[in-house]
Amino acid sequence: MLYTDAQRREILHCILDFGELYLNTGGEISRVEDTLSRIGRAYGAVRMDVFVITSSIVVTMESGDGESMTESRRIETAGSTDFTRFEELNSLSRRVCAQPMAPELFREDIRRIGEHRTPFTVSLAGSMLAAGSLSMFFGGTWMDGIAAAIFGAAICWLQSRIGRTSLNTAASNLLISLIIGLGAGIAARIVPVLNMDLILIGDIMLLIPGIAMTNAVQNMLVGNPLSGVVRFTEALIWAGALAFGIFIAIWIMILI
Amino acid sequence: MTEQMIIQLATSFAGSLAFAMIFGLRRRYLLAAGLGGLISWAVYLAVHSFIDEIFIGCLAAASVAALFADILAHVYKAPATLFLIPSLIPLIPGSSLYYTMSSLVRQDAAGARYYGIDTIKWALAIAAGISLVIAVRELRTKKDA
Repeated sequence: MLYTDAQRREILHCILDFGELYLNTGGEISRVEDTLSRIGRAYGAVRMDVFVITSSIVVTMESGDGESMTESRRIETAGSTDFTRFEELNSLSRRVCAQPMAPELFREDIRRIGEHRTPFTVSLAGSMLAAGSLSMFFGGTWMDGIAAAIFGAAICWLQSRIGRTSLNTAASNLLISLIIGLGAGIAARIVPVLNMDLILIGDIMLLIPGIAMTNAVQNMLVGNPLSGVVRFTEALIWAGALAFGIFIAIWIMILI
Repeated sequence: MTEQMIIQLATSFAGSLAFAMIFGLRRRYLLAAGLGGLISWAVYLAVHSFIDEIFIGCLAAASVAALFADILAHVYKAPATLFLIPSLIPLIPGSSLYYTMSSLVRQDAAGARYYGIDTIKWALAIAAGISLVIAVRELRTKKDA
């Protein structure tokens, strides 16, 4: 390797930053592991040992002169899926693997990509359209669809407010589903043509950890069972919290 | 085609497109993402009209969605995940999960069991469908040195 020790340290650091951002953006475990190994080899490592699970990354980079360097990173935030960031990280990794850039430039690119946020108006419009159309998909009427879209907007707003606090995903799912469940129940009482079940079915689609669960089962089936089990357990807890919130809401609506 | 099927096809398109928006997919890919949802639901409906078994229909739909995502990934030179996840949205068993819960609240054990098994079937079929396509992809690529 042509790099000095300090530069190698910098490169390893960048690789961990890259992995953390990729994982928090919705990258699958095996994809993150594979990408980090490739980047390391592009920078001249003769051997890369990368171990990624949902909550941590460990990378050991061995250079040609027999020196090896290990660094680990604890992943704290669950992160949210952001496909624009995902795509940019993917193309950055391709560029780096084809032609390794100076570590400073690599760091700068990672920082720039990490700053991307989906505009609130886009996720608001998406949440409304998703909840409304999926409510109708599962058999709701036009009225149910419109009501689901309104509650979908409420979910999006609540998620962005709660996202700023340190409340964990399970508790936030419980709270949001309880509020939305009661809201839909009361709306269906006041306007009898509305169907509480079908409104809520559209809205809970926004909260179901469908992707986490699918990724998890996929991990378990295609050779990464440990990460699969970790993520599956996490997704089950989130789904359980969501279901429990709805459970309490239906129960209260039966009582009153 | 019944009226319900037409509504489902239209809303599966809209729902998948909407989820792609929530996930911040670039605008130029949005229509493709919606189309993925429409295709996977159309496959489900087509298979379902021959074989009255959720698992087979959903497995076929998820496999086709994964293939579709692979093709788009090739065309746009972007990761397949971007197109796969929105395409799977119509297959996520939101309604079964909800009815499982509501049966539990109403202490309807038979209903809870029926919908609970339904939910698990859908989830397993999605995962199996994708894994099938991944396994085929892995068979076709060589191990790197």
